[in-house]
Amino acid sequence: MIGAMLRATPTLVRVGFARTIAYRAEMTIWILTALMPLVMLALWNAVAKDSPVAGYNQVELTRYFTAALIVRQMTGSWIVWMLNWEIRSGQLSPQLLRPVPLLWNDAIWTLSAIPLRVIVLTPLVAALVWWRPDLVAFPGWPAVGLFFVSVFAAWMIHFVFQCIIGMLAFWLDQTDGLFGVWFTLYSLLSGYVAPLETFPVPVQHVIRFLPFRGMMATPVSILGGFVSPADALPDVGIQLAWVATMLVIARFVWRRGLARYGAFGA
Amino acid sequence: MLRIVKALLRVSLMTAMQYRSNFLLNGITGVFGALGTIAPLYLVFRQTDAIGDWKLPEAALVMSLFLVLQAFHGGIMEPNLGAVVEQVRLGSFDLVLLKPADTQILVSLSRVDPAHLWDLVIAVLLGGWAIWSLEASPSPLDVLVAVALLGAGLAAMYGIWIFAICASFFFVQVDNLRYLLMSVSETGRWPVTVFAGWVRIVLTILVPVGIITTFPAMAIRGTWTLDTLALAVVTAAAFLIAARLAWWRSLAAYTSASS
Repeated sequence: MIGAMLRATPTLVRVGFARTIAYRAEMTIWILTALMPLVMLALWNAVAKDSPVAGYNQVELTRYFTAALIVRQMTGSWIVWMLNWEIRSGQLSPQLLRPVPLLWNDAIWTLSAIPLRVIVLTPLVAALVWWRPDLVAFPGWPAVGLFFVSVFAAWMIHFVFQCIIGMLAFWLDQTDGLFGVWFTLYSLLSGYVAPLETFPVPVQHVIRFLPFRGMMATPVSILGGFVSPADALPDVGIQLAWVATMLVIARFVWRRGLARYGAFGA
Repeated sequence: MLRIVKALLRVSLMTAMQYRSNFLLNGITGVFGALGTIAPLYLVFRQTDAIGDWKLPEAALVMSLFLVLQAFHGGIMEPNLGAVVEQVRLGSFDLVLLKPADTQILVSLSRVDPAHLWDLVIAVLLGGWAIWSLEASPSPLDVLVAVALLGAGLAAMYGIWIFAICASFFFVQVDNLRYLLMSVSETGRWPVTVFAGWVRIVLTILVPVGIITTFPAMAIRGTWTLDTLALAVVTAAAFLIAARLAWWRSLAAYTSASS
């Protein structure tokens, strides 16, 4: 199976990229829906006018939310809606006949959208740099390397968790509501709407071990240079632990769910 | 016409409630979503006493008006846009056109999502607390102006959603447009004055988020002027008329699945 997966990958990348280009208008709108960091930047920027907020001055806040905008784009996926729809409409059945595992196919498709995301993101980031040139600060090559590991782990947590929620459609009519709860928690606790340093310190200790921080704040603080690569290593470790946990849960839910799906006679 | 509106609302409410476990689950997630919406207020006001000249009760007022907007979007407009897009794609929109009633009303109210009632409940609680903790309580006239501004803003917003529905006749896949509208309206969570000059103008006139959330909050604070009221009413009228015209043009141009 691994052999088939690897052999199919170059083709899947081409197909995924072609699908992205075919629906370029839809994709661009979809990409633009994740502009919350800009709203929050405007707000925090107004709050930090006189004195720094939780240790971030205006330039650092701009850097923080620019990094958040980038991380959000790199980690976005839509698999929860896809799976939900495929399971409810029975479209899952033909997908299961293919020799390549369904989720591998979807994972490659999600990643193939990244070039288009970069194209949409570039003018936005350029505008931010033009507005506040000081935000550019090179964090050093080790940090860049660690950022790629961290942002990939963040993408994995997003993707695999969306799969888990989507798979609950084997049991529930609609899983959108549950995903809404997850997204609300994510917005608050990942550092998406505010740097996590704005929380009371005891809460920060709890947040550190939840999966959300690894979906946004960890890669953002590495890219923004808010933490040295050496200090960030334990956080990346927590991210990887969550990736592993999610994969185990997803595998379990997928097996139970497929057995149940089969029981419908599909 | 009122009779049709009532009947439509009743049927769409019944449709939403027929999957009972799902209905209950959505109710629970609805409360959670509404509480999550207002949580950032706590984070911001841990750090500061005021955003510009907006203190906590005043910013909470803006947030509660945003919840009203969210209820309007998520509870009425978004499900209906989704429904029209699906009907156009499948061809069953022809059946809607055959009905002997104004199609614009039919497509505006064919579905509701009652889970968003929680947004309204939390909005009333938060807004009530905010008004109670204001330094100066608003005069009846101020409240009246605030309600008028909110109504005008929602009417203009409704016009934008009708444009989006019209767009679905020409470009079948406009599902994402609703997410974009929702995401632009996220800006309404905060007083529009935190945004830089040109963004503020866009958010007042092009996408009237500011009229819905910031303007009524200013009215309650007693800082409204006749100019803002006139601007809101003109914007609302312009959007409603334009939406009606666009609706007629698009219906005339609509080629059903069979033709």
